[in-house]
Amino acid sequence: MMPPPAPDALPRPISSGEESGIFLRLRWLIARSTVREMLRTSRLRVSLVILLSALFWGSLFGLFHEAFTFVDSLHAEVISLLFNAFFSSLMVMLVFSTGILLYSGLYTTPEARLLLTLPVRSETIFAHKFQEAFWFSSWGFILLGSPMLTAYGVVRHAPWPFFVLIIPFMVAFVAIPATLGGIVCMALVAWMPRLRLHALSIAVGAALMAMIGLAWMALASPRADAMSAAWFEQAFSRLSITEQRMLPSWWLSSGLIEAAARAKDGTVARHQTEALRFLAVLVSNALMLQLVGRQVAARLHRLGASQLVSEIPTRRQRRMSWFDELLSRAGTDRGRPLRLLIVKDLRIFRRDISQWSQFVIFFGLLGLYFWNVRVFNYQHAYAAMIGFLNLAVVGLILSTFTTRFVFPMISLEGRRFWILGLLPVNRDQIVWSKFIFSFVGGIVPCCLLVALSDTMLGIEPWLIALHEVCCVVLCAGLSGIAVGIGARMPDLREVSPSKIASGFGGTLSLVISSLFIIAVVLVTAVPVHIRFAAQERAVAVAGWTRADRGVALGLAAAIALGLLATFLPLFLGLRAFRRLEP
Amino acid sequence: MIAFEGVTRSYGEKLAVAGLDLMIPRGELFALLGPNGAGKTTTIKMLVGLLRPSRGTVRVAGHDLVRDPRAAHLHLGYVPDEPCLYEKLTGREFLWYIADMFGMPKAAAEKRIAAEISNFELGEFADDLAESYSLGMRQRLVFASSLLHDPDVLVLDEPMVGLDPRSVRIVKDLLRDRTRGGMTVFMSTHTLAMAEELADRVGIMVRGRLQFLGTVADLRARGSGLVEGAGDGESRSLEQLYLEITSTDGPGSSP
Repeated sequence: MMPPPAPDALPRPISSGEESGIFLRLRWLIARSTVREMLRTSRLRVSLVILLSALFWGSLFGLFHEAFTFVDSLHAEVISLLFNAFFSSLMVMLVFSTGILLYSGLYTTPEARLLLTLPVRSETIFAHKFQEAFWFSSWGFILLGSPMLTAYGVVRHAPWPFFVLIIPFMVAFVAIPATLGGIVCMALVAWMPRLRLHALSIAVGAALMAMIGLAWMALASPRADAMSAAWFEQAFSRLSITEQRMLPSWWLSSGLIEAAARAKDGTVARHQTEALRFLAVLVSNALMLQLVGRQVAARLHRLGASQLVSEIPTRRQRRMSWFDELLSRAGTDRGRPLRLLIVKDLRIFRRDISQWSQFVIFFGLLGLYFWNVRVFNYQHAYAAMIGFLNLAVVGLILSTFTTRFVFPMISLEGRRFWILGLLPVNRDQIVWSKFIFSFVGGIVPCCLLVALSDTMLGIEPWLIALHEVCCVVLCAGLSGIAVGIGARMPDLREVSPSKIASGFGGTLSLVISSLFIIAVVLVTAVPVHIRFAAQERAVAVAGWTRADRGVALGLAAAIALGLLATFLPLFLGLRAFRRLEP
Repeated sequence: MIAFEGVTRSYGEKLAVAGLDLMIPRGELFALLGPNGAGKTTTIKMLVGLLRPSRGTVRVAGHDLVRDPRAAHLHLGYVPDEPCLYEKLTGREFLWYIADMFGMPKAAAEKRIAAEISNFELGEFADDLAESYSLGMRQRLVFASSLLHDPDVLVLDEPMVGLDPRSVRIVKDLLRDRTRGGMTVFMSTHTLAMAEELADRVGIMVRGRLQFLGTVADLRARGSGLVEGAGDGESRSLEQLYLEITSTDGPGSSP
């Protein structure tokens, strides 16, 4: 055994700078092994992420370029209004997203508990976790904001310093709401631990309502006015409430507009100086808030952590719901194990707030959007195409759910094989139960959303029926792909569903799902488009035309694609799952 | 070295620890026993600074865990029941991280890390990522990290969970060796045999109160008087005595 340590080997308190250095090294080591592993095991995923990000960036740049070219012809103040509305909305979202991320990072993770037992300052722990939350909550903003601002600079022929200043401006801006989110989070946890979730939910709900209200207030107008000059003017005058000079979003938009501006004689020095002043205001406020955040952390972090540990989870007795009872008893005895498996998955889904809350949020937002498409008037052909686009969006949202929640289901059963293996249930029933659960669970909200979208767009009944059939095809195919690939490539060692979904199998499932959606929408949308084009040229005659036959053929092709996407992965998955040795 | 002075901790209306007064001197191995929900985990959480007492003070090497947590943590090593590691760090990188946190000079840290890797037989996998470790390997690594800075106080929460018999032997030998060298060990356990084998003193906690405090010999002596006519305490197993003290309608049930 070891002799006692020499006096110079004894532990000693380290400085704040040394603590930061240790966390920096920790971050570097973790990043290095993560990147190495990704390059070794997930090259396809990394390439796809880079490719899709580049595509996304390029598309956004193109879109914003077009939009700014159009808006540039209007009054110059329009840009300021747009920027203010956009950045102030983002500011509110950043406060909440960083607050939620910091709540988890500072209090609930195993790392948070480890750090609380080490001789490290609370303010350094805050700074360390803040950097993580800052990165996670701002990368989306940078991915969305950088093409927008680059496009703005290109359209306005901005001088080169504008492009250099984009990132410092964005980083300084994001730091302000992010730090505020952290401070609010620590105060809530320390002073209102029991109320924190309710308070947070109420605050998030209020913010969402405020944003929806703002958008509604800005855009709502009689149908006839939509997209007219008067409509634009009215909308912009309503958005002017976001132009408050005390808001960081105003400092950001004003600074960026100054940085892109040129004087009448073409010189930029005066505008650049003004832009730098706005940047200085942003940076100084961000730094001041960081100091406040560190002080708050020093006083409240350990207190909050203790308050959270003090909470006892409320015990609730769970009884079998009437629906579960009905489902498990209805039908034949032979099908009972299958129904019981479905009831089990249904219960887990209902009790896992992260699953159904995301489901409700995404489909709820989509519903809100579909409800509002009635603001605009469309021609029949245009409305039909928007209907198809909406169908594709519903499919894409469903595919993210099938990949994130349905794909890992078989892998997660791996840990329960000792139970399932001893039950009189054959493995095929396990796979089929997941498929039925996903298919039936997806079909109801998706068909309702498509019906809402088509009704709001004023689409003809035959086209609504076509969209509904396509929706059923998508639900079946996406469930088949997720369950089939999940059974073919299970990861029985992993316990985290998000990690299972982000592996190779999950990525493959998402890619195939996206291709399947595009294929189904294209084979049905193109013939419909041709049919409307023929109608416009007055080619159509009474009876069954060539264009109608094209639509029918497109539908048949979509159904065939659906059958293939449903049964081929399921067949491969069932075969692999029967042979699986846990 | 460890002092609980009138410590009370409640969760809402539920009293988890009630008026705990306990002093554990340097070099003692103290085992805290008790049924599930007795208040052992709450006591440990207060001792390592994860939880603040509602009333009273917890001190380690003279430092109050609430007022001066950093100074107290410099003297503490902690092995939780669920080991926490960074999945994307190797075992060796994790040990360096902990050594740096305790401000150990590079040369000394290097020696200590090598020694603990050897003590806990971690050499074979010290350079693998922690995500590939089994529960036993994780537990051994956490043990090694908690001893790196040679703490004055080592706090163990169910330390043998997940360890194979060979690792259990290593840990037992190490605890004996370190306590002889002056380290104080505070251990929560359900394993009576281990408490009997290792502990200088044991405390039995029932519903937040220490129902027994003394050596195993004291416990046996008390056992002979627990139930009249039950015979000589020495002839009754420690398990019987423990069950009698912690029984809801036995001697331990009265406050």
